[in-house]
Amino acid sequence: MSEKKNIVDDHHHSHDHAHSHLPSDPELRVKAVETLLLNKGLIDSKTLDELIDTYENRIGPKNGANVVAKAWVDPEYKKRLLIDATSAIRELSYQGRQGENMVVVENTPEIHNVIVCTLCSCYPWPVLGIPPTWYKSDEYRSRTVREPRKVLLEFGLSLGPKVQIKLWDSTAEIRYLVLPMRPKGTEHMGESELAELVTRNSMIGTGLPKEIK
Amino acid sequence: MSRLHDMGGRFGDGSIPVPRNDENEVVNFEPTFKYDWHARAWAITLAAGALGEWNIDVSRHYRECLPPKDYINFSYYEKWLAALVNLLIDKELISLNELKEYVSAAKNGTIDNIIEKEIILDERAWLAKDVQKTLGWGGPSIRNVNVSPVFNIGDKVITQNYSPNKDINGGHTRLPKYAMGRVGLIHSYNNNHVFPDKNAHGLGENPLPLYTVEFKSLELWGELAEKQNDSILLDLWEPYLKHFSN
Repeated sequence: MSEKKNIVDDHHHSHDHAHSHLPSDPELRVKAVETLLLNKGLIDSKTLDELIDTYENRIGPKNGANVVAKAWVDPEYKKRLLIDATSAIRELSYQGRQGENMVVVENTPEIHNVIVCTLCSCYPWPVLGIPPTWYKSDEYRSRTVREPRKVLLEFGLSLGPKVQIKLWDSTAEIRYLVLPMRPKGTEHMGESELAELVTRNSMIGTGLPKEIK
Repeated sequence: MSRLHDMGGRFGDGSIPVPRNDENEVVNFEPTFKYDWHARAWAITLAAGALGEWNIDVSRHYRECLPPKDYINFSYYEKWLAALVNLLIDKELISLNELKEYVSAAKNGTIDNIIEKEIILDERAWLAKDVQKTLGWGGPSIRNVNVSPVFNIGDKVITQNYSPNKDINGGHTRLPKYAMGRVGLIHSYNNNHVFPDKNAHGLGENPLPLYTVEFKSLELWGELAEKQNDSILLDLWEPYLKHFSN
């Protein structure tokens, strides 16, 4: 690159990394920053409680399971879901932060979809909640794009050689959800029963729905 | 060159930390937050973000700009907290002296004594009553602008072969290095989205066409690809791409 004159340095840190002043114990670190922000009135403790309660108790993979189960029993819904996932998911009142632009990708006997975010930890919050530790791990972020089959084996998932993997690296603000295949022998089951079979990992592509015994 | 966060395809990482039960079955359930301090770090980051002093691209870039030895050693929420502190200082929401004062109070166990009883909330503060409404809106990155996409579905494209942030040396981008200089096909056009390469540096939203581009495993990893016909799909902005002709 010869156009040096167009390049400015990325020096928005006017200090020498303020975070280096934090204590080594992360609990104390959070306590210090949280108390400072609370005392300055920049954050409200009731807001923190409400946020934590929302993602611990209200928004999680059960939402996604309801979307999947509905798509399994309602072909018209499934059609809408695959064409405009954001709107179809909003029909179930799941929407908003980290799910503003949803895309649902369908597994078939020939295609298996897997979701990853190699650059950070992008994940569809309204339907799956906060990502699990393994999804945010360096191991999953680094290896999945290069050796997805080995990675899936570590989750106990073995794909046949005829199955093509489609791996979606969430590099922008689109958030992906996998629509897994409906397990065999579930024809008699209704939506809410089916939703119980849909695991979180099956909606990321690192697992399959539970089979009925 | 890139930074440590850009780790797709890297060699050397071990097994995925897949949680298993006593029968060695994969466990799908784990608590939303493993420790209380994870929840607190996460929540104060969201609440501070709601003050409107920075956007999502700025906060991502701050995490990426942690010194490599910190990025590699910090756990997930330690990265969040460190980046948050750097942002709070840079945006002058807190001062270094204040930070030091609270840090020493936390260290010597007197922090509970300095919790204020009567707090006047900043007018920008996110109120509990607005939490559900704001989460429901989210922060859409699509912009209705009159920019027509240059590429059509099925077009063969090649990605830029260097960090495509031309304005900022070491600046933010969302084109991972494993997909630089590679040939793929336009799979879909996804409307115009805020361009992180500008937005992360306070240079405006500059919405541009966003495409999903499909790459063959063979193209990205060569003959050593696990299975050459597998596909990797990335969401890429128009400036990352050029027409490719054989």
